[in-house]
Amino acid sequence: MTPRTQRVIGVVAFAAFVVFIAVLPSFVSDFKAREYSYVGIYLIALLGLNILTGYTGQISLGHGAFMAIGGYTSAILMAGNEQFGGPISGGLKDVWTLPIAGLVAGLVGLAFGLPALRLSGLYLALATFAVAVAMPSTVKRFEEWTGGGQGIQLFGIPERTGGISNVDVLGRTLTPNDWLYYLAWSIALVAFAVAWLIVRGRTGRAFRAVRDSETAAVSSGVSLARYKTLAFGISAAYAGVAGGLFAIASDFVNPDTFPVALSIFLLVGIVVGGLGGLSGLVFGAIFVYYLPLWSQGQDLGSLLPDRIVEETQKPGGPAIVYGVVLILLMFVLPNGVGGLFRRVGQLLGRRRYSPPS
Amino acid sequence: MRFRSTLVATALTIAVAAPFAIAGSSADPGVTSTTILLGGTSPLTGPAASYASVARGAKAYFDSVNAKGGVAKRKIEYDIVDDAYNPALTVQGVRRLVEQDKVFAVFNTLGTESNLAIRDYLNQMKVPQLFAASGATTWGRDAAKYPWTIGFQPSYAAEGFVYGRYVAQNMKKAKIAVLFQNDDYGKDLLGALKSGLGRSGSKVVAAEPYQVTSPDVGSQIAKLKSSGANVLAIFATPTFAIQAYVFANRLGWKPKVIVNGVSGTSNIMALASEGGKNKVVEGSITTNVLKDPTDPRWKNDAGMKLYRSLMAKYAKGANVNDVYHVYGMAVGYETVGLLRRLGANPTRAGLMKAARSLNDPRNPFLVTGIAVKTGPGDNFPVQQGQLQRWTNGRWVPFGGIWQSKRN
Repeated sequence: MTPRTQRVIGVVAFAAFVVFIAVLPSFVSDFKAREYSYVGIYLIALLGLNILTGYTGQISLGHGAFMAIGGYTSAILMAGNEQFGGPISGGLKDVWTLPIAGLVAGLVGLAFGLPALRLSGLYLALATFAVAVAMPSTVKRFEEWTGGGQGIQLFGIPERTGGISNVDVLGRTLTPNDWLYYLAWSIALVAFAVAWLIVRGRTGRAFRAVRDSETAAVSSGVSLARYKTLAFGISAAYAGVAGGLFAIASDFVNPDTFPVALSIFLLVGIVVGGLGGLSGLVFGAIFVYYLPLWSQGQDLGSLLPDRIVEETQKPGGPAIVYGVVLILLMFVLPNGVGGLFRRVGQLLGRRRYSPPS
Repeated sequence: MRFRSTLVATALTIAVAAPFAIAGSSADPGVTSTTILLGGTSPLTGPAASYASVARGAKAYFDSVNAKGGVAKRKIEYDIVDDAYNPALTVQGVRRLVEQDKVFAVFNTLGTESNLAIRDYLNQMKVPQLFAASGATTWGRDAAKYPWTIGFQPSYAAEGFVYGRYVAQNMKKAKIAVLFQNDDYGKDLLGALKSGLGRSGSKVVAAEPYQVTSPDVGSQIAKLKSSGANVLAIFATPTFAIQAYVFANRLGWKPKVIVNGVSGTSNIMALASEGGKNKVVEGSITTNVLKDPTDPRWKNDAGMKLYRSLMAKYAKGANVNDVYHVYGMAVGYETVGLLRRLGANPTRAGLMKAARSLNDPRNPFLVTGIAVKTGPGDNFPVQQGQLQRWTNGRWVPFGGIWQSKRN
């Protein structure tokens, strides 16, 4: 396959995917639309994390913290923090808080990118992990800003579009769950397209050069400082938007909403989706949202023997199933779902260009 | 490019034209001719997974009722969803229970923040939030604003007040140092302790918070020791309570200890006493509502015998001495009582009405003498408790059953 045909196939596949996403809610229950919107939200976070980890080679175990920054930015701009004695009165519509959530998280990400320049590999992983660990305590410490452990309620406030009643948009009436779905997925699809534009061009090439060999990248004139901080900034902005949407979808934020485990699940998500690829991440996002549910027998109740479902409802049960499935998956798909796609593509390509015998 | 925009336009047309189904809801979802469906979240995984025994105890009790034919010929199904003690997952799980699984009531969801996160939603949807497993005062205090929500256990405010009263009446000029968890749970207890002390000569001389995420409470205990206090109040979750005892002992500090009920279970105390080496544990005071499976007092008690037989039959392999199972059975028992009162045609509104007029003086899993009671102006099902002192490796009750009038 020439790069040109590859690109055409990519564009067609993406367009087909857009159509699929647009019509999907018509074929599933209202509640499923709500669940799929979480998949969209995780997809945004995974796209960002993959730019940093998959393309630039910088491991982050702290992306849940960037999501927390976005989530709290959105929540505070909507509900305000005057009720806790803070300075912000809120009142901004939920949709308009999202770009700001991305911006704030992105700026923090850029700032974090600077010290991260001096760290690499495991040390960077540990530093980002520390951010994730410190986040809940930090949020509680600034109680007048964040409401402390009790968090911020967003359910039913007027700034929340489609919190309780249906939403009229473009002459169509959407249920609250359908509205959430279209909001999350239109942002996710734009985020996908933007990520694709970033990684396919000059910037993406520089990212990959940094990942494959820092020495070689520097000797080819790639500025490590510039591209590493840029990757951190972009990736944190993605996480911030995802966090804002997450707060809106949950109608609630508190420090436990963004636990350390979230950061680790996100990393698991890009590994399952395939490092250094974009399309596989959709499966990574499905994995992040659904595996914890499936591993406790939800949705699969009728498929599995009662005996197994019963075990998964015992303390610790879901965690064991999650672990086993993850290990199996890594055996079967060592390069994630994206790796499978690439392999299939290579096989097809080879067949087409094999010399006639 | 042209091709792409055509596709997008097609997509939009289909999307706009497509009809969308809104699931119609019957008057009272979750009830069929043979089943009645309850659901709730519980931390089956994560840092608070030990609390999952609460849900398991309730499930075991329902299973035993189902084995005898259920309630009004309906079997009680109890769907437990894991939320890993994360309120965002509680929201997702509860929405799933209400909108997809269509439960009759959300039951026994565990954790203060988790219950707060779903309260507005459930009240908006008019779905009962039955017996929220948390001691926050707000469940009972704000019943007028949230008619679909009711708690169960005594509020932390009631418990803290009882400790304050105890010190005020039994110790002269006590100097109290408090270790508390830095959230509503710890702060409720601390505030109520102070108000229970009232104008007595005793007072809180030092209070040190810790974060749930912190590794240990060593430095807090050292600071509290240096305050010169002679009473240590531990308002903490089990792991930190054990640490507090261990650090106090290592520092050679021998205060009189008050430990809150959540951490004051026999198995926790046994761990804290480090095989009898740690003498700080001796003489500790706590308050209790549930029959403790390890307490010899209940050896021949009918309720405890029932508990053991149900555990053996419906919760095989679970730790029978884990008192959280008893809690689960106690709420399961009350719920079955409510459903029986609803009769053949249970409704959600009827359930809440029944829950607001409870009068059960003999729940077999609660300490004898403690009643489950609600009524007009009283939205706290359990408001009594038993003070007890840790003596020679077990809890010994003293004084009568206390009753909280405040809340």
